[in-house]
Amino acid sequence: MKRNELLLAVALAAVVAGGTVLLPPVVGAQTEPGVPVEFVETSDGFDSPTGGGWDDVQTSTLPLSSAGADVPSANDVTVEELQVASVRTDERIYVRTSWADPTRDTSDSTVREFDDNVAIQLPSDSDEQPPIAMGSSDNPVNVWYWSGSGNSEELLAGGPGSTTPFEESQLRTEQEYADGRWFVVFSRPLDPDSSFALLPGSDDSSRTTIPRDDADLDVAVAVWNGSNMEVAGQKSASQWHRLAVSSGPPAYERFLWVIAGVAIVLTTIVTIEGVRRTRGDE
Amino acid sequence: MSSHTDSSQTVDLAEGVNHQVAMVMDLNKCIGCQTCTIACKTNWTDSGGREYMYWNNVETKPGAGYPRDWEELGGGWDDEGEERTPGELPEQEDYGAPWDFNHEQIMYEGSDEPLRPMDDAADWAPNWDEDEGAGEYPNSYYFYLPRICNHCTHPSCVEACPRSALYKREEDGIVLVDQDRCRGYRYCVEGCPYKKVYYNAMKKKSEKCIFCYPRIEGEGPEGEVRGPACAEDCPPQLRMVGYLDDEQGPIHKLVNEYEVAVRLHPEFRTEPNVYYIPPFAPPKHTQDGESTDEERIPREYLEELFGPKVNDALDTINRERQRVRNGGESELMELLNSDRSEKYRLEVFDEA
Ligand code: SF4
Ligand code: SF4
Repeated sequence: MKRNELLLAVALAAVVAGGTVLLPPVVGAQTEPGVPVEFVETSDGFDSPTGGGWDDVQTSTLPLSSAGADVPSANDVTVEELQVASVRTDERIYVRTSWADPTRDTSDSTVREFDDNVAIQLPSDSDEQPPIAMGSSDNPVNVWYWSGSGNSEELLAGGPGSTTPFEESQLRTEQEYADGRWFVVFSRPLDPDSSFALLPGSDDSSRTTIPRDDADLDVAVAVWNGSNMEVAGQKSASQWHRLAVSSGPPAYERFLWVIAGVAIVLTTIVTIEGVRRTRGDE
Repeated sequence: MSSHTDSSQTVDLAEGVNHQVAMVMDLNKCIGCQTCTIACKTNWTDSGGREYMYWNNVETKPGAGYPRDWEELGGGWDDEGEERTPGELPEQEDYGAPWDFNHEQIMYEGSDEPLRPMDDAADWAPNWDEDEGAGEYPNSYYFYLPRICNHCTHPSCVEACPRSALYKREEDGIVLVDQDRCRGYRYCVEGCPYKKVYYNAMKKKSEKCIFCYPRIEGEGPEGEVRGPACAEDCPPQLRMVGYLDDEQGPIHKLVNEYEVAVRLHPEFRTEPNVYYIPPFAPPKHTQDGESTDEERIPREYLEELFGPKVNDALDTINRERQRVRNGGESELMELLNSDRSEKYRLEVFDEA
């Protein structure tokens, strides 16, 4: 092998190795049904609902219908679908919700005014599927709740009417209203901070942990249109869907791909060189 | 609902409630001074999103009341008392909205007018129709109707809340909103047919009359047991306060024995525990000022307000009044004219 050929071989191997490390393994996530949660190295572009990061993330459309709760006018709801996209970093999960609502309701400051709301429901125990209507006392849910008047809350519920705020919310929300649509991004650490005090009657395990390895957990959403005076159980809600959390590429896996890539390139070069030499000797 | 079990009790109390506070208001004595309204306001609702609230209000009847046309807004129960009747939330303006004054003109535009409301500042407010009443001269009529939460035996506000944030206290049946449980959904506001639950937009929670429970628990002035401030401060002392199931007390006698104290809008079927002695007025006059036999306040109107029982109540009072006029004795008339010391019986069930 001549010196410049050897350099070429090394350079090729380096490209293969680098590519394996840098490219996110998105292929696996896209084939999952439900709502894929892609792994991203950094939260840049995902903190805000209009951040550029969201352009490249798969969006799922979840159909909504009346939750059928036991409240007056439960079936009088207006929002029919909600779009969800989600990514995670090593630290946090980001979920962007978006839905059409021609009226932007951000106030509940008089008796007949209600604001727009959106909520994400997750099982407290990510291995479980609680009853869809706010879980049950032995199979509770967490609810991430955003309201148009500017609040967001992290809630615990064990059945209809039992919603209780966690004392300290670890949730962050950002919203944007444009062209008759709300865009709301929720983000929360994957692992709930166990140092936060929880309410009496609940324990640390009642706060959902987002799994880090390839895993599914259930997710449901609900939307309220304030100008239609939608509140409480009068809401458009989805069924359970699967939140397919992608593992980030684990270190050993990347290392094996690097070795394999380099080995393939070197083997190819060595083989070509061998064939050439054989011919040259003739 | 359960009949109270000890001794010979016959008074119906709500399930799980040991005793029931109650109030009787004698409408013949109300002068519309609003001292009760102010007593309540300065105690409980003078700030923090409660400015528009009057847990105690006094309205002129006939009249639209507070909030405006509250009697038309639904709520309560159906005729069987089993299914709730849908209710509506009042408009903020129906409670009365803050008025605009000419601050801008005086402060920034150099106007030397006196401070006054703008011309279009309001076209409604509480007591906007005060003393208008109904009827034609010389037979026009009106009376004042003081109203608080009725701390009902079958409260539709409690039933309306999907979070069970409203509840009846076990010890005395006072209806309260648990401020930790309330999430401001306002089902109670629409569910109460008397519109006696109010939405606090600053707190995003519902609030209501608490029957001055700290006072009746002995946390009042000088650490003494006192009646609700609206009752204690009333100049003509027209409110009696006690327990419906205190069979020796005047409330039980007026409500259950003589049946002269009646409920406001019994057809809402929440079974209020505030009762009213219905109003009398002088008979109608002819154009020449001669009295006739005809009642000035039409019975139909009183029936509309207080249900058919108002007829017997009025007849009984008339009869007893006549008896006293004829030199006889009447326990009922004595009860209705008792002095202050007999108006409040709040310690009868205290542990000895
Ligand atoms: S008056 Fe209204 S608020 Fe008060 S107890 Fe009855 S239903 Fe409830
Ligand atoms: S304080 Fe007494 S007299 Fe005055 S308005 Fe109230 S109830 Fe009527």
